[in-house]
Amino acid sequence: MKKTIVILLLAAFGYFLAITFLDPDFEKDRNRNGVKNVYLEKTVSELKTANTVTAIVVNFRGFDTLGEVTVLFLAASALGSILFKKRHHVGERSITLPASSIVSTGAKLLFPAIILLGVYVFVHGHLTPGGGFQGGTIIATGFLLMLISYRNFSISHNILSVIESLAGILFVVIGLMGFINGGTFLQNFMPTGTLNNLFSGGIIPIIYILVGFKVATELTGLIYTILHEKG
Amino acid sequence: MVGSPVLLIAIPLLAAFLIPLLGIFWKELVRIIPGLVLGYLTILSASLYIDVLNTGTIVETIAGWRAPWGINLVFSPLTGFLATLMTFIGFIIWLYSYRFKRNVEFEAAKKYFIFLMLLVAGSIGIVITGDIFNQFVFIEIVGISAYALTAFYTGRNSAEAAFKYLIMGSLSASALLIAIILIYSQLGTLNMAEIAANIHNMPPQYRVTAMIFFIIGIGVEAEIFPLNGWAPDAYTEAPGPVGSAFAGIVVKAGIYAMVRMMFTLFDISGPMQILIIIGMITLVVAETSALRQVQLKRMLAYSSIGQMGLVLVAFGMGTKAGVFAALFLMLNHAIIKPLLFFSGSYLVFNSKEKNISEMSGLGKLMPFTAAFFALGSFAIVGLPPFAGFWSKLSVLTAAANDGLLLIIAIVLLVSIVEIVYYFRVINRIYFFKFDKATSVVPHKPRVNALIAMAILAILILVIGFYPDSVSEILNRASEDLLNTPDYIKNVLSTGQSLTY
Repeated sequence: MKKTIVILLLAAFGYFLAITFLDPDFEKDRNRNGVKNVYLEKTVSELKTANTVTAIVVNFRGFDTLGEVTVLFLAASALGSILFKKRHHVGERSITLPASSIVSTGAKLLFPAIILLGVYVFVHGHLTPGGGFQGGTIIATGFLLMLISYRNFSISHNILSVIESLAGILFVVIGLMGFINGGTFLQNFMPTGTLNNLFSGGIIPIIYILVGFKVATELTGLIYTILHEKG
Repeated sequence: MVGSPVLLIAIPLLAAFLIPLLGIFWKELVRIIPGLVLGYLTILSASLYIDVLNTGTIVETIAGWRAPWGINLVFSPLTGFLATLMTFIGFIIWLYSYRFKRNVEFEAAKKYFIFLMLLVAGSIGIVITGDIFNQFVFIEIVGISAYALTAFYTGRNSAEAAFKYLIMGSLSASALLIAIILIYSQLGTLNMAEIAANIHNMPPQYRVTAMIFFIIGIGVEAEIFPLNGWAPDAYTEAPGPVGSAFAGIVVKAGIYAMVRMMFTLFDISGPMQILIIIGMITLVVAETSALRQVQLKRMLAYSSIGQMGLVLVAFGMGTKAGVFAALFLMLNHAIIKPLLFFSGSYLVFNSKEKNISEMSGLGKLMPFTAAFFALGSFAIVGLPPFAGFWSKLSVLTAAANDGLLLIIAIVLLVSIVEIVYYFRVINRIYFFKFDKATSVVPHKPRVNALIAMAILAILILVIGFYPDSVSEILNRASEDLLNTPDYIKNVLSTGQSLTY
């Protein structure tokens, strides 16, 4: 009885998914009044940002990005609080297999390069593909590599949480400065410079760098917490 | 102008990032700052709300882009009313739980206050935003803090409850995202007002599908019938004040999102059978399940679900009287249910099982707490001198105006069921003998908890004796919800052009 109902519900769900997504008519240009043309035009003319995706993520819909940063912060703290009681003392690991010498030697070489790539990706977020979220994740993978290659590699949880907090605070403060200077929250209040320069786009690169720091520290903290969980 | 609606979101987020830093210097700040923030938010939103009632809806643009391009916040008589209610209840919950885990565990208490504050901020965001994707982001914020608060005690049962909630919440969030994608693919905009203006250009099959996915997506937070399996477990396993936050704040935000979607986004006017049917099923199933519960908090959780079903029924009538009754019910439930959770969690404080049968004779040992619980029970079942009476009466009159006799019959029948299970508890508290072997060891509430309960009790009495004091506010709010053309006009006409 229960199973029949479940199957029927799933069938109905599938039917509605099918009728809409088999023929979504995406190619038809019925969005003449939509937002996309304004985004494409204003990104170049007013925000002086080469990467339209970044302009949308950080400026047009910057409020959503602030929300998503908060979601990540919440998820990281939630995991921390759930695993809190289970955590070992500093230095103890749940995984205790030693890494081979190839991995540990290679990790030493790769680590600075990975960090540099991550920093490059989030500093150039307004010019090239990528940005704060991607760059931050790349940096966290660098720390993951070091953590699995060296058993005595440790990061201070306090420093991570201070950097994370400062990045978040600065994001909101920059938003509020737009509020005080220009009129609305997250509005640009700095000179926008010329298109395609490193120093262009007003507050967009600054916010993306802060997002980069925040994502990097949060994900590193997450990896560190999980790695030190009692099995 | 004293401030602007965006501060209702920005200040709690700022404080949430600040608390881990401040906790390093002085541990007490972790408790004080959320209270200051929630108190400030209450004052801010109340003063903004008075402004709105006098001068009309405030529409705030963000990042300097006006309505269809940027995100905007709408602070209208309806959303302002709900935001003020939520910030106020949030402040009361903070007051009640000020000493939570004090001198026991610092790290856990820090997380608790951050999550609680973001739960309130996210709920306010769901209510005041004017953009469907932004609403999705706030639903995620509320969801994740709610999962974390449910799993707070890190036991086996709480982990199970949180996991159940997590799975249902994530699945429903995906459904919501599908609905948003569908609408964006057809209309090319995410702004609620713009969608509402163009919704009738959307082909019907997409419209129906998007609506179904919306209902699934929001239904988990709104606790409607097939999607509320997480609620009883989560209410039972979460700390006491969190249960009241779910009942008083989160569910209200879910219901608002649902109603805004039906009334404004899809621009349906007249009676909405779907809401009435869903609400009826939710009401009947939840109240009959409440009758069978042996655990106090579980019973309260089912009662809360049932009340939300009644709210949906009232909204579903689609008339002004119906919307008025629904908002009145939401207001009363937001005041009464936290009082029941507050006093109820003290009544079963020292018990492992939290069973109703362990509460015998506590009325003499904990006179204030028991009296508050009794007051809350009388109010929620709708006895005359208390607040709940007027809201139930307005539901019945609204149904009578439309000649919906079946609704009247079911609501009255369900009220009898409610009386049975609430009075069973009160009977046990007052008229059973205290027995050392089976009863709970009484735990005296702290002063801050007593003050929080007393404020809510006074409000219940005030609304009960002077229902006219809120009817003007509720009238304005219900007019605002029903007036879609004005909503569209307000949002799309506001905003300055960019000035650098």
